[in-house]
Formats: sequence, structure tokens, C-alpha cells
Amino acid sequence: MSTVLRLSDVSKSYGNFQAVKSLGFEVQRGQICGFLGPNGAGKTSSIRMILGLQAATSGSIEILGADDGRKVRDRIGFLPEERGLYKKMTPVEAIAYLGSLKGLPASEGRKRARDMLEQMGLGDSQKKKMKDLSKGMAQKVQLIASVVHQPEFVILDEPFSGLDPMNQQGLEAMIRSLAENGATVLFSTHVMQHAERLCDKVVLLARGQKAFEGTVEQARATSPRFLEINGALDLKSVAALPGISGFEQVEQHGDVFSIKARLAPDAEVQQTLRTAFMSNMDVRSFALREPSLHDAFIALTGANPDDDQRHKTDAAVTETAR
Amino acid sequence: MNRTLLIAQREVLAYVKTVGFWLSLLSLPFFAVLGGFMPVLLKRAEPLQQYAIVEDGAGNGTLAASVRQALEADYQRNTLSSLALAAVAEAGITGRDAVRKAGDTGGYDAALAELKRVAPRAAASFKQPRRSVVEVEAPSDLVAAAAGTAKDDMARQWVDGDATVGEHKLSAVVILSEKNGAPAARIWSRRAANNDVEGMIKSALAEVNRKQTFAANGVDADVVKAVESYRPDVTFLSPRAASGGEVSFRDRLPMIIGLVCGFMMWSLILTGATMLMNGVMEEKSNKILEVLLSSVTATELLVGKVLGVAVLTLTVMGGWALISTVGLSVTLPEVARDIGSVMLANGLWLYLLLYLVGGYLMYAVLFAAIGAFCETPRDAQTLMGPVMMALIVPLLFMQMAIRSPDALLLKVLSFIPPFTPFIMSARAPSQPPMIEVIGSLIVMFAFAVLMMWLSGRAFRAGAMSDAKLSWKSFLGAMRSQ
Repeated sequence: MSTVLRLSDVSKSYGNFQAVKSLGFEVQRGQICGFLGPNGAGKTSSIRMILGLQAATSGSIEILGADDGRKVRDRIGFLPEERGLYKKMTPVEAIAYLGSLKGLPASEGRKRARDMLEQMGLGDSQKKKMKDLSKGMAQKVQLIASVVHQPEFVILDEPFSGLDPMNQQGLEAMIRSLAENGATVLFSTHVMQHAERLCDKVVLLARGQKAFEGTVEQARATSPRFLEINGALDLKSVAALPGISGFEQVEQHGDVFSIKARLAPDAEVQQTLRTAFMSNMDVRSFALREPSLHDAFIALTGANPDDDQRHKTDAAVTETAR
Repeated sequence: MNRTLLIAQREVLAYVKTVGFWLSLLSLPFFAVLGGFMPVLLKRAEPLQQYAIVEDGAGNGTLAASVRQALEADYQRNTLSSLALAAVAEAGITGRDAVRKAGDTGGYDAALAELKRVAPRAAASFKQPRRSVVEVEAPSDLVAAAAGTAKDDMARQWVDGDATVGEHKLSAVVILSEKNGAPAARIWSRRAANNDVEGMIKSALAEVNRKQTFAANGVDADVVKAVESYRPDVTFLSPRAASGGEVSFRDRLPMIIGLVCGFMMWSLILTGATMLMNGVMEEKSNKILEVLLSSVTATELLVGKVLGVAVLTLTVMGGWALISTVGLSVTLPEVARDIGSVMLANGLWLYLLLYLVGGYLMYAVLFAAIGAFCETPRDAQTLMGPVMMALIVPLLFMQMAIRSPDALLLKVLSFIPPFTPFIMSARAPSQPPMIEVIGSLIVMFAFAVLMMWLSGRAFRAGAMSDAKLSWKSFLGAMRSQ
């Protein structure tokens, strides 16, 4: 596999504020890479540097073999976080126009636009003005516009935000389809489930620095597994079971305890449970909890992505109230 | 197609599809035509007004006769003016002067004969001006009423009631009298706001009084007439006149063209630059700029937009020029020829085009850079205030540039690039020294290049910035991008 994107020791400062610090990671051809991080982590700044929209303060970026994103812009598709298109254009006009700026002939752009709009369920809206489309529809149009020229490398900044669950599912399918057709995809998101379902690789960013780079499985492995045990238990005996490294949470209801116990990385759960039953512990229920990407995100960045989502929702409510 | 041209093409199509563009293209000629025909249309639409003249007391009708004579003389003068004016379209200013001269010496018939000679088509269609205010014979009860209050009461009844004289009601009653030995009048009018009759009567009484005063002092009426009809024969000469001697209307045309060009230049540049700024602001607020900048360079985007709006501006200017040329060629062919010869003389049209291009470039890139920092016109106000104040300066000096194109202050202002396009457009038709024309063009274009470079930097920074616009952030962006 060849390297499509390589960032080496990239930093970006705005005055005294350092938005990105010594960032380095790689994306290989054909991969779907999730670019994850809480608000203000430096994702958008990094994406703008990758595209050449902003210059890095230091470090180097290699993209599609070039040292500047601007040199290979026709081979890149980009969906920015803040989206918008010309309100008086029809979807076909908007897609064909943005395609033509990427070197796609206008007639071919219009043809592809019509086909892709049909595929995305927007066949009936082809002749409407952009201002008459719903937010979700407009977002789909913009997504089509970013890939209509069939780019080798697609960069999507928060592509799922503002979409309803049905459209999110459609977008997931579209991203998979892009990868199946040979495109490399880098997308930022706060919704860990999307990254978990889609990504071959994730890069986690916190406070401008890389917190993790690897596969989803590797990310999960950075968080502990938990064993949830319920029953009339003696806490000391439970703590002494093999593989138990500590308690995350303990709740007591009468003489019944609900314990969420951390498992050591090399713990064998069968052995732990066998020992518990052989010791005649009053175990009434148990469950093994494997870590999710969400857990890994919290463990690695120290921030909860749901807080980001809540923060965004609060901001949207405040903006609407204004 | 080249990306810059694609941006320019979209810019043109986006504006051409709007009603506002066509309104701005057609509004100037429309209002010019409307302004020209409106007085005629209004005059024709005016309802007929009837008035009656009576003398107060036991007058023998002498005063009323004198007033009627003065009113008729005034109407004849208007008719002669109309005759002279009718000659302009077909025979130009020379024809107008010939008809006027014939009228002064031989009256209406001589003037009409001259019009037939110099402008036969105009003479064939000439109609004497319509009298919208007509005197009718005074009702007998009004004539018979006793002088003073009784006469006033009767006049009031005639202008207040529904009684008619012939088919129409009386609009006004003029009661003539002598006051302190001079002619005077009391006018009763149906409408308080209508002063048409008042104006006519005032003018006529002044004329009557003048004649009476001359007669009382032993001055012969024919002498008065001869003195009044005298038109001083002054020949204005200049070595810079086209004829090499006598200055004609053609020689004064450059001043008029300069004034018109200066104002049009100001209007076009400001309109184009503002259009550009609004377009950039719209793209910024709609979050389109970032999408565009991922496909084209900031320079391509800026140049494309500047080029697109320039095409629109030139289209509007070309449209105005075409409509004006056709309009003038049809209505005033001689004037159109003169304007054409002034514009073509010494490459004036080329200088004006260069000043338009330079001025547009300077202001367009500056306005676009300001727009890149703003999402609403309110955001832009911080910077636009001082820019607009600077744009007012050339307007203040443009009049001066027409009267005294060689004034030292204007020469200095001509070399200050932000003012150059407007001041020099006003001065250029008066043929300033070539060194000043070329020098000011070089300085202006050098400054335009500098502005494009600086504003290009600010545009790039502004397009990707969420910073609040201020002079500090704007100048900082120009320096540090």
C-alpha cells in the first residue's frame, strides 16, 4: 500500500496560541481514516493545512506525492465543516460548477450530478433552487459536489453533523462505496459509532497533539475491559479474584452489591469466574464489558465526545434563540 | 476552461440573471428620457384653466389692455423659443441661433420661415405651444359689480361656486387696479396652491409698469423696444478653439463631457466595487469561500471575481454608451457628432478607459478584501466609513476640474492614486499636458498593482478567518499573511 498522506512534526500557531503541536500520522491508499478529537483539538486547522488552505508554522505535509495540497487539489475532494452553496443555483448547477473548478467538463459534471442525485434519493429535487432544499438535502448535494470529480483522496470535515439517522446511514454507505472504488477517505467526527463501523484506522487528537494512531481494535485495547458482577458478595474476596485489577464502581442495595471491576490487560475471564464459583461466592449475574471506541476516546483524550456534541447542540440552541 | 474564467463566468451569470442588473442598466437611460419628456408630458396633461380680467372701479379698460398686450408678448417670446429649440435636433446649435436671430428681427413668421429653411422636417411638425391658461370674457355681473368689497365678493362667488363660463368654471379672477400710481392686482383663485395665473399677471404688470414709467419720463416706446430687443454681439475667441479662433459649442463640449465622465466614472467604480464586496460577503456568510478555496487559489478566486464584475461594469457602461449614442444620433445628431469627435480626439476614449480600469482595480480589490472579512454589511462599516469619506473628496473637486483644469491643487490631486481616475477623467477632455496624463496613469497603475498585492494578502487571510474585522486585523492580515 502506498502512502497517500503523511504529516511529519506539523505545528500551527495563531499568534501565541498553538493549535497543532508536532502532529504526525500517515494514511495509506484505500484506507478509511477517522480523525477524532474534541472541540478545539486542532482537527479543522490540520485539515486546512493538509489542503494547503493554511500554511503550517513548522513541519512537513506530503499529500498524493506532493509537498503542498494546492498542487494536487484536483485529485482531492473536500467537504468543509461549515457548509454552504449558492442559494440561487439548482443542485445540478452547483455540483457541475464545483466539479468544473476541479477540471471536470461541465457536460460530464451535469450528467454525473443527475446520476448521483438520483442515487442519493434527490432525483425530484434536481430543478429546485438550493435555498428551497432542507438542510439534510443541501448537505447531500454538497457531499456529491465534493466527490463528483471522482477524487483519489476525500477529506470530510464532520460529515455526519446535521444529518438524521437515515441520512447518516446513507452517508456511511457512500463512504464505504468511495473506499470500495479505490478512494482514500479521511473524515473527522464526534460520533464514535460511525468511526467504529467505518474506519480501518483512527487518529485521535487532544489539545493539538496526537493522542493515538492505529486501528479501532488497537484503540479499544488502550482501555480496560470490565467485569460486572451482581450478588451478595464480599468486596475483599472479589478484589482477590485472579485478573481483577480494581473497582471502577460499587453500588449496594441491602446485602446485594453491584460491582464494576476492572480487568487486567492479560486477564482470562473464564479463570476469574471459575474461581468465583469455586469459592462459593453468591454470584447472581455477571457480564463482560468490552471497551468501545467511546471509552478509548475518553481514556486517551480525557474528554467525552458526547460533551462536544452537547456543547454543539447548546451552541446551536443559543444561536437559534438569538 | 481556465478556473479564473470559470469564476468570472459564474459571477457574470449570477448578476445578469438578477432583476437589479437590468434595472441598473436601463434605469439611467430610462430616467434620462423620462426627465427629458416629463415636462412636456406634464404640460400636455395640465387641465385647461380659465381666468377673467376685470378692472376695479371705473377704469376705461386701458390697464386691462396693457396687461393683455404684455401677456401676448410673453406668449410670443415662448413661441419663438420653441421654434428655435425645434431646430436643434435637425440643424444643431447653429440652426437654433439662426432661427432665434430671425425671430428677434422679424417675429414669428420670420422665425418659422428660417426654421423651414434650416430644418424643414422640424418645421413641418412644429406646433405652437399650447395655452394651458386662457383668458375668457368676464361675466357681466362681475364687470358690473361695484369696486372694492362688492367686486371681491362677486369674484369669490365665481371661483367658489359651480357656475361656468362657457364649458368651464373660472379658475381665477384678476381684479386690476392702480395702487400708489402703479398697476396692481388682486387675484381670486379656485385653488390656493395654484400660482400659474399669479406668475403670469405679476410678469405682465411688471412689463406694463416699465412701459408706463418710460412713457412718463418721455422715453419713446419704440426706443424702449429697440433697447430691449438688443442682443450684444460678443465673439468669444481662443487659440485652442477647433476653428483656431471663435469658440463654439463644440469647444465647450469637453468641459461638459469631463463633468459627465467624472461622475459616471465615480458611479461605475463605486457600483462595481460594492457589487464585488457584497458578492464576497455573501459567499463568506454562506460558507462557500472555503469550498471554493479548496478548488482554486485565492488569487484565481479574487482575479476571477474582479474580472467578472469588471465585465458587468463595462457591460453597463457599454449599454449606457450605446443607448446614449443611438438616442443622441436620433434626436441631436449634430451634438452626437461633436461628442464623438471630442471622444476620439487625442485618444480621449482610451485615457478614460484606462482610468476606469485602474480605478476599478484599486477599489475592487480593496472592497473584495474587506468583504472577505465580513458576513454582513454591518461588519464592513468599520472600514467602509473612511473609504467612503476618501471617495467623497474627488466629488468635491470635480466641479473645479471643469472650470480650472490647470489649477495647481488639481494637478497635485491628479497624482494621488485614489483620486486620479475621477479628477483626471474630469480634466482629460480639456487636454491637460501629456506628461500629466501619462505620469498620472503610471502612478495610478503602480498603486493599483500594490493594492492588488496587499489586498490579495488580506483577501486570503480574510477568507479563512473568523476574526472580527477592524483596521488592526485588516492591516495585520495585509502584513502577515
